[in-house]
Amino acid sequence: MFTLANPLGLLALLGIPAVLAIHFLQRKAIELPVSTLFLLERTQRDAASGRRLDRIIPSVPLWMQLLAVLLLAWFLAEPRFQKSGSVQRIAVVLDSSASMGVFKNEALTRLAAELPTLQGPASTLELTVMESAPGRPRLYAGSSVEDLKVALEKWQPLDGLNDPSQALRLGRSLVSREGTVIYLTDTPVESLPFDAKLISVGDVIENVGFTGVTFATEEGALVWRALVRNYGKTDADRTWSMMTSSGNTEPRALHLAAGSLVTLQAAFPKDAKNVRIALSPDRFTLDDTLPIVAPAPKTLALFTATSPAFADLTTKLLRSLDAAVPTNDAATADLSISSYDPLDPVLPSGNSIVFVEDSTRTGAYLKGGIVAEASPLMDGLNWQSLLVRETIELDRSPTDTVLLWQEKRPLIFLREHEGKRRLCFNFDLRLSNAGNQPAFIVLLHRFAEAIRDAKVAPTSAILETGQPIKVTAAPDIPLKITATGLDGKAIPVAPVSNSAPLVPGFLTVKQNEDNLLDAAVFFADTREADFGACGKSDITEAPNQSTIERHTRPDPLWRVWILVLLAALLVSWKFTTPRSLA
Amino acid sequence: MSPETLQTCHGRALAVAARLRLPLRSRVWRGQAGEFTGGGTGSSLDFQDHRAYSPGDDPRHINWQAYARTGSYTMKLFREEVRPVVDLILDASESMFFDPVKAARTAELFYLIAESSHAAGAALALHAVRGDASVALDPATLRTHRWLETARALPATDAAKSPDLSKLPLRANAIRVFLSDLLFPGDPEPILRHLGQRHGSLVIFSPYLESEARPAWSGNYEFIDPERKSQHPHRIEPATLKRYLEAYTNHFALWKQHSRRHQSAFARIPAEEDLATTLFREAVPAGALEPSR
Repeated sequence: MFTLANPLGLLALLGIPAVLAIHFLQRKAIELPVSTLFLLERTQRDAASGRRLDRIIPSVPLWMQLLAVLLLAWFLAEPRFQKSGSVQRIAVVLDSSASMGVFKNEALTRLAAELPTLQGPASTLELTVMESAPGRPRLYAGSSVEDLKVALEKWQPLDGLNDPSQALRLGRSLVSREGTVIYLTDTPVESLPFDAKLISVGDVIENVGFTGVTFATEEGALVWRALVRNYGKTDADRTWSMMTSSGNTEPRALHLAAGSLVTLQAAFPKDAKNVRIALSPDRFTLDDTLPIVAPAPKTLALFTATSPAFADLTTKLLRSLDAAVPTNDAATADLSISSYDPLDPVLPSGNSIVFVEDSTRTGAYLKGGIVAEASPLMDGLNWQSLLVRETIELDRSPTDTVLLWQEKRPLIFLREHEGKRRLCFNFDLRLSNAGNQPAFIVLLHRFAEAIRDAKVAPTSAILETGQPIKVTAAPDIPLKITATGLDGKAIPVAPVSNSAPLVPGFLTVKQNEDNLLDAAVFFADTREADFGACGKSDITEAPNQSTIERHTRPDPLWRVWILVLLAALLVSWKFTTPRSLA
Repeated sequence: MSPETLQTCHGRALAVAARLRLPLRSRVWRGQAGEFTGGGTGSSLDFQDHRAYSPGDDPRHINWQAYARTGSYTMKLFREEVRPVVDLILDASESMFFDPVKAARTAELFYLIAESSHAAGAALALHAVRGDASVALDPATLRTHRWLETARALPATDAAKSPDLSKLPLRANAIRVFLSDLLFPGDPEPILRHLGQRHGSLVIFSPYLESEARPAWSGNYEFIDPERKSQHPHRIEPATLKRYLEAYTNHFALWKQHSRRHQSAFARIPAEEDLATTLFREAVPAGALEPSR
């Protein structure tokens, strides 16, 4: 097998028609009166006008000149022969975003078609195929295109939009500078890092799908509201229906103008567990079905033990926290709110929020700079406008974590003891403007949510595919995670998984026989559902000069060809000269 | 051709005419009184035969001696002496004159036949024909060499066609000499049949050029048809040339074959050689001419 390092050298073949033309032009027609023309025309039909180029009169100069042109073209085209054992390394990064699922077959066909070109003159191909999402195992490593096809048959891109840079860097490091890195995607990009080449196989297609769901309670009934979007540039007509284990509703027609959003809503069926809202399918099926469960966050039992002076504050807190229920039993409460009275300095033993109650009301405003310590609870909160009067202080132990200082006086600190957390406000709220501080409200909510997160209790939620799952479980007891797809078939899930499956469906996390999480997982990456930017592009190039030189060796007989070329020219000249002199 | 050239040709023809003549004596003539032996009985001194008298016979030719011996009238018959009749038909097409050599040979043959006829005392009629046009030439113009102008001025609708001889006033019992290169398409049979009608006997002189009989063509040519003055591009390759030569040979073989069938003398006269030499070699064996002595 040979390769032409300079294919433009084949333009020298244009010399063949030139030589032929010169030979024909040299044979200029001789004008001759002849009275036997009728005999000539009777016997020589094929020699009539217009057929004069159909045959070449063989002459030595003609053949020599044609040979010279062929040799010149061969020489200029720089033919190179394949080296044995030359290897072309190619790393293929497959765009693992979900939209590629629509074009998977086209992508694999195109890849198989491009690989021989990318292999170029090398005798062996070394392929490494990986996904663009970081941290995934490589899909294929080997040298057979057929094996590659088999390996990629089961590949299913399900990720959201992701940045291929990391995978491209890995690919470049695998194939070194001489290798080729291919990024196979459905959306053309202007430039790729690490000298990667782009193959884009996408196409602009129409798509209608769910973008999200919310729940509300109306007249005592749970109502879901799902948002459906038409990503296409033309109007679309679909039908939708709700599917439960007890049956499906009648399909209802749905008209969506181009680019519009439509909200579907209905009451959540009572006692139903796993409910699916299905649109009539299109090419991109991931967002055509929305699995839902009735959301049920963990409840937070609030026990208030404050003086009546703080009743207003506790009422507000109770109202503003989600799924918070009041309780009168301090022992079973998840969170207690109490005020510190120096005359009755008993504080709740569990998780609590403590305020100082100072009935003297005589203290002056504290002076000095307010400094917040670095803590997740305090992150991003602004306390500079807080005004606090001097009051009595809480007893502080050395293990307390001060969250907010004013000069040397701790204003807020956190006490953690035996797994219980106590948020202490070391001033009287009534003698400050803390009640009007957003930072104060946010801090209370953060603390309450931290308590809720730490609580081991069943919950139901709507999750997005691949979303991290936060489940609080009892220590030392293994969790059992099960997932089912929209078709009811089980989906393999890693035993220690901290994220939702990539396939829409339903997820259950159990500890012993206690349900910790019932979740519906839906595909929510609207960037992937919008195919408006998809397109085809082909910027793969022919093997460059250095690649050809690396895998091939020059024609060993090129000196011989030059000598033959010169000999042909000399022979041609020798046969031509006497004639021209004559 | 200039009058001087024609004069030269005439001179050469006269020289040859002293050594060669038309084969007039090889046949029996009928016609006006002359010096050739006629086919019938006449008033010459040569006794030919006897026959019985029949009423109306000239009583001067009764053989009285025989009557004396036998008692019956017997007529003495004498040989008739007549003038031969020669119709010279000249093909005045352009192909006869486009080449100076061929034109000179044509003129020489024309003069030779005319002078030979004169020398034999034949009644000579000259005709020029070109395509479908024809004209009778005055024998007096031979000496002034004006005959050629008249012949060349013939208007023809298509000079390349075979000559139309039907309009020629061919005389009975004439020896008809057809001077043509025969380079026209068509079957020789109608022409030969026409020229042989009314007891005519035919002699054909066909001048030709070696360059046409054995050309050395090779490559591209713009052939010019002398009749139509049109150009015809051709590419001549060895195979083409071979087919041309076959066609040329077949063409004249056909004429020769038909001439033999019509008992006509057919002589092809090359234009490039000496007139006397080539006539002795070609025309005499063919019976188109015979030595004077």
